[in-house]
Amino acid sequence: MSGLFGAIGISASGMTAERLRMDVTSENLANADSTRGADGQPYRRQEVVLQQGGQSFSDALGQAQAGVEVAGIVSDPSPGRKVYDPGHPDADAQGYVTMPNVDTVTEMTDLITESRSYEANTQAMQTAKQLYLKTLDLLR
Amino acid sequence: MGLFDLTDLVVQRGLEGASLRQQVLANNLANANTAGFKRSDVDFQSSLSAALDSGDPAQSLDALTFQPQADTSTTMTADGNNVDTDTEMAGLTQNAVEYEALAAVEQQRFAMLKSAMGA
Repeated sequence: MSGLFGAIGISASGMTAERLRMDVTSENLANADSTRGADGQPYRRQEVVLQQGGQSFSDALGQAQAGVEVAGIVSDPSPGRKVYDPGHPDADAQGYVTMPNVDTVTEMTDLITESRSYEANTQAMQTAKQLYLKTLDLLR
Repeated sequence: MGLFDLTDLVVQRGLEGASLRQQVLANNLANANTAGFKRSDVDFQSSLSAALDSGDPAQSLDALTFQPQADTSTTMTADGNNVDTDTEMAGLTQNAVEYEALAAVEQQRFAMLKSAMGA
């Protein structure tokens, strides 16, 4: 009987993961021009790493379908772009400012992927709910 | 034979299989952006028909367990993931129709039993 409720939980885990990815993408976009991050260095682009869920006790019991979970949020190590702006307070001796390694176009396409994936998960959850209601109809 | 016959048993195991498939396909969708994830699917129809073809269908159906199979042969994206959202959505839709058909059959059979009992 846990089958369909399990399906709803799996879709919920997907929605949670995609929403977190959207949060992180928004943060990247918001900080696309932040030349001073927490450590005084230019902001570094953050990325969410996902892993298959249930790599734990329930998985050992053979319940392999356990959705998705967040493995962590990591910094993108690629170098930031250099912009010539001698008047900027963070410019180096040659007049170049190191900007964050955030590419707005990449972030916007990521945002589209994330929102579509979120929708796919809501659709799967909708279907599970519909099937569950059909089962309840058997009692009528 | 009792109140419920072989058909009821097949339909009930079919509903179980379809609900597991819903779970497996939802899991594929949830992991559409997980690096290295490989999709799984359940062919519960084949398991059911194999059980029906066996010598003792009732016994085989009772003992039947559905096993999701991972498809490790294909790759969709550079990170090794092979989930195609469109395929999964199509599978979910197909599976929902099958589930509803099975549920409708079972509902009819319950209705027949009820009318036989004069309820």
